[in-house]
Amino acid sequence: MDPVSTEPKLRLLGGRIPYIEGPLKVSGRAEYTDDIKRPGMLVGRLLRSPHAHARIVSIDVTEARQIPGVHAILTGEKYPTQFGVLPITHDETAIAVEKVRYIGDIVAAVAARDEPTAERALAAVRIVYEPLPEYTDPHVSAEKVASPIHSRGLNGTNIQKEVIQHFGDVDAAVASAAHVVRVRGRFAGVTHAFTEPLVTIAESTPDGRLTVWSATQVPHYLHRALSEVLGIPMHRIRVIKPEVGGGFGGKSDPLPHEIACAALALETGRPVKMLFDREDVFLTNHGRHPTENDVRIATDADGRILAYDIEALIDGGAWSSFGTVTTYYNGVLSMGPYRVPNFRYRGRRVYTNKPPSGAMRAHGGTNIRYSIETAIDELAERLNMDPFDLRERNALPPNSTTVNQFRITSTSFVKCLHAARERSGWDGKHRRLPYGRGIGLGCGFYISGSNSPIHFTPKMPQCTVHLKVDMDGGIAVHSMQADIGQGSNTLMAAIVAEVVGVELDRVHVVRVDSDVSPIDIGSYSSRVTFMMGNATRKAGEAMREQLLHAAALLTGYPTERLEVGLERISVKHRPEVGVSYLEALHKAMERTGALLATGSYTSPPMGGDFKGARAGTAPAYSFGAYVAEVDVDVETGEYRVPKVWAAFDCGRALNRLAVEGQIEGSIHMGLGQVMGESMNYRGSRLLNPALLEYKIPMPQQMPEVECLLVGDADPEGPFGAKEAGEGPLIAILPAVGNALYDALGVRFTDLPITPDRVVRGIEQRTAAHRSWKGA
Amino acid sequence: MSDPRILRLRLNGQPLEVSVPPERILLDLLREELNLTGTKRGCDLGTCGCCTVLIDGRPTLSCLTLAHLVAGREITTIEGVTPATGLNPVQKAFVELGATQCGFCTPGFVMTAGALLREHPHPTRQQIADAVSGNLCRCTGYSKILDAITAASRGP
Amino acid sequence: MHLDPFELHRPSTVEETMALARRYSGSFDYLAGGTDLLPNYKMHLNLRPHLIALEDVQELRGHSVDRVGAMTRLGDLERDAAFLRAYPAIAEALREVATPLVRATGTVGGNLFLETRCFFFNQSYFWRQSLGFCLKAEGDRCHVVPQKEKCYATFSGDLAPALMVLDAEAEIHGPDGARRVPVTDLYDARGDGIQRTHLAPGELLVAVHFPTAARARRSAYLKLRVRPSFDFPELGVAASAIFDGETPTELAVAAGGLETYPRRFDDLTQSLVGSPLTDERILDVATRIRGAVRPVHNTFLAPDYRKKMAGVFVRRALTRVREGTAA
Repeated sequence: MDPVSTEPKLRLLGGRIPYIEGPLKVSGRAEYTDDIKRPGMLVGRLLRSPHAHARIVSIDVTEARQIPGVHAILTGEKYPTQFGVLPITHDETAIAVEKVRYIGDIVAAVAARDEPTAERALAAVRIVYEPLPEYTDPHVSAEKVASPIHSRGLNGTNIQKEVIQHFGDVDAAVASAAHVVRVRGRFAGVTHAFTEPLVTIAESTPDGRLTVWSATQVPHYLHRALSEVLGIPMHRIRVIKPEVGGGFGGKSDPLPHEIACAALALETGRPVKMLFDREDVFLTNHGRHPTENDVRIATDADGRILAYDIEALIDGGAWSSFGTVTTYYNGVLSMGPYRVPNFRYRGRRVYTNKPPSGAMRAHGGTNIRYSIETAIDELAERLNMDPFDLRERNALPPNSTTVNQFRITSTSFVKCLHAARERSGWDGKHRRLPYGRGIGLGCGFYISGSNSPIHFTPKMPQCTVHLKVDMDGGIAVHSMQADIGQGSNTLMAAIVAEVVGVELDRVHVVRVDSDVSPIDIGSYSSRVTFMMGNATRKAGEAMREQLLHAAALLTGYPTERLEVGLERISVKHRPEVGVSYLEALHKAMERTGALLATGSYTSPPMGGDFKGARAGTAPAYSFGAYVAEVDVDVETGEYRVPKVWAAFDCGRALNRLAVEGQIEGSIHMGLGQVMGESMNYRGSRLLNPALLEYKIPMPQQMPEVECLLVGDADPEGPFGAKEAGEGPLIAILPAVGNALYDALGVRFTDLPITPDRVVRGIEQRTAAHRSWKGA
Repeated sequence: MSDPRILRLRLNGQPLEVSVPPERILLDLLREELNLTGTKRGCDLGTCGCCTVLIDGRPTLSCLTLAHLVAGREITTIEGVTPATGLNPVQKAFVELGATQCGFCTPGFVMTAGALLREHPHPTRQQIADAVSGNLCRCTGYSKILDAITAASRGP
Repeated sequence: MHLDPFELHRPSTVEETMALARRYSGSFDYLAGGTDLLPNYKMHLNLRPHLIALEDVQELRGHSVDRVGAMTRLGDLERDAAFLRAYPAIAEALREVATPLVRATGTVGGNLFLETRCFFFNQSYFWRQSLGFCLKAEGDRCHVVPQKEKCYATFSGDLAPALMVLDAEAEIHGPDGARRVPVTDLYDARGDGIQRTHLAPGELLVAVHFPTAARARRSAYLKLRVRPSFDFPELGVAASAIFDGETPTELAVAAGGLETYPRRFDDLTQSLVGSPLTDERILDVATRIRGAVRPVHNTFLAPDYRKKMAGVFVRRALTRVREGTAA
């Protein structure tokens, strides 16, 4: 790949590019799944289990089926094939078979002429359950249990996945250490709470085809799951992804209701729409795992990190989902941004009888990072070092390898530290603000795409992009990459416009449609900019080549002497000699008609040779250093975060408007997990399945955010770019936690930090800690 | 279903006469019967603001409004504030300043913001934050939404 | 989410309303703004076959410094500058109710007679059925305090405490005529989360009246919640006083969001009248009020914390009233 220093000056990329579909969104004209109506469409509804764990003794749908207006009722036995996002842990079914595993598990699906009829039908379904012991405490689930939730649990326990890794010699390192800090943290589950509820439409037609429109981040995985469970070859299924109203990982599994909806369409021969209410969405969950981390960090007397020793118990809920990845990530994503020469990790993810956890923005890298950054802050205190100095001393250098053999190429982490320190006025504030006010630093590290794509042999590209241009000069871009609001369509169009040399409005991104879109594996693991960007660039270059050849024929100059400008190809150093874009295009089309071009991306081989070695490998990593200020009402425990300085290394930011939006949105979401978002359970029962009682921060709670985009270009990223979708979330959580310590002298190791916990923390503050500001 | 009754109102500047049952919610009337799908259904319980419409100029939750109780009133939806060509100043600012990401909450914000600027042509940032505090956005962190409304208040 | 069918009645006078109330006695709900009732109906909570919409009832309209009609929209009252100047506690409470979008429709009467709230009540039919229905809807037990007699749902209106400390009076019309009672006496201290007011079946709040002396009161309202909008109060404290120099000649404190009814603490604040309002005296009363309230675990924040904060908020509200910095 070209060294970045020779990149020509970019016309669009690197600037602020408003979303190309923005005008449709602000006018209500963008089409989301629920906006679609099909002729004769029926209403699909689901019956959910009132039991957390029970055997289904019998289901009788006779009476329900006889209700006028009811077109079909399905129970689990018709499609018992198990599926799941990871091929190695297929443990879900579209509708429960033989047993239910959480309150909300799907036990029947109905298609009816309208909502009231569907609800009447569901009320008429007679089910006999035989309750089984409920497992809601992950510690209990980690032991041998009487009635395992799944048969695949480890040795009669509910352990879904155990990861044990050891690199170097942690015990020896700890024995030789000058300081060892241990932080134990408990993290409540949080959920995505995207504004667009989950919704699917399915339609089966007499030509033997099935079409599914769905609010999904992973249309291709949905395509595969539909095919596997319904037993229909993929080429007879068409998956369409309309506009998606946010995902954050909550739409990154193929979900049971999508398959149930399709099954109802097959059963009835009619289009069926299944729209979720908020409770349905909360019960579907797949949010961030409730987690208990136990982290020990050892350093020498100078603050050099000698070892990490980490244990984690992860509450997976009823299914596997991404859980195997979560279990690895919770360990291996601690391998940056610091050099860790010795590393030991034991992570266990257990099934419990609760709504399933899964992937949520900065999946696997958020809770563990909070614990680590809390420990680092405490180490700085003990070493009497500035937290910035301690982190800089341990920064992973560029072009290095971690102890678990992650390949680190570009990192601007030290630049992030410098920018955040300088812009925030840290040195004049840290430990110097009055009681109740504080400033804190937190850092982050995240994958820029997974090197280990789900469902594929490594030989198949992770992303393919097709371009088609006809005589009108408009360039249609096809790819299954899923824009869920992060701006990937805009980036894809801008890359095409940049490379081919046309105005942005010539480029049309065609809606994801498996009939025409070449495969991209979806919007997750912060892979889209990096992988789609590279694939799009290659496709654009292939198109540009065809135009250059045509221009060579027209001008009589060889292609090496030509250069591509905006809507024009001309001779280098002789701009008056050249042809317009359309002239070149029409010449090129004389031979073949409409021009086609393709580009794809496959990540290079990487990773060590041990079990689980590929987990966390990525073609690049993002880095961040955030400083947050807090202002605490020390009597009520209420606090504000008035200002955040967010220094982030996403390589070269290709669309600064979008990158800032990702950082600001990430800070909002991260603050939610700190300040009050929490899935509250009483036993197996979710107490707050509603937006009113799930405390997403309000605009008045948002800090002023200063985005510091200091990243140097990445050698392999498209035009030097890395991810900015998930990594930006991570650093805000410990930045606020550490700022609260600076303000109050209290370590908050658990999230969320609600006002009652702040008050309790202040009351329980030890005498030793009262002097943390040197008073 | 209970008896449909005739409901007369003005919708986006046009008179409308439609037969709906007493229990019909305005949001359902707009989306399901009149195909005005720009107004979004985010929670159905008044806790997200995605369904905001104007009733006699005041931003209101259409998901908590019985259709019959707006008889005789002027209802304006996102379709009604969008010019035939191009965008209104609030919409333009939302696009240009990156105030829309996934876009699902955006029509609601546009309705709320437009009404705010009619009442307070030059609001402070705090006034804007308070005014949109019934509209939930999960993508932007609100920063660019507040920027866009500020920019719209300053004119082109 | 759809609503089950009901009959919608739209009387235009109190008299017509009373006639409907008599005719459908026991099988109707009054519908004011609907921002509380309709979410509950969507969750199939205590549905009635008849809704009497108060939208068009003439006597319930209008607002001035002396009188606020029950159907006054919170958002309209929020824009009545003279009213806000007269009653700082109400001005502060209004701004903190739910969200601007809810206030556009929500009414004064609706806020005063808000349905009590509980984690185990404000849930879908599916949710409640799966746990077993509770006393407040279709069931016979309480999931907050396990027993079968009393409902612990929390009164969560913001306006009531503010009106209580201003000696506001409620004008009530019923099938048997009209009466006026202090807002404080609307609520039933011996009731529970179900039986929470002293209104007889069919009785209707027509308006709230303010005595002239209310305008002489300095007042304040402070609300505890997790977020600065949307959330119902985890605690709401109103205080008011009339001063002769530094000495209050009248003083009142009321709180909502803690128990099944909003409550004015005259027995505990009596000692503050007639002598200078010192920090020590304020603290003493705040501590006693804190000791008197009994929150339970059916809202977001822990009850021991809410109880503790009751003391802090009472102290702060009284201090603000003394300093005259309210509003």
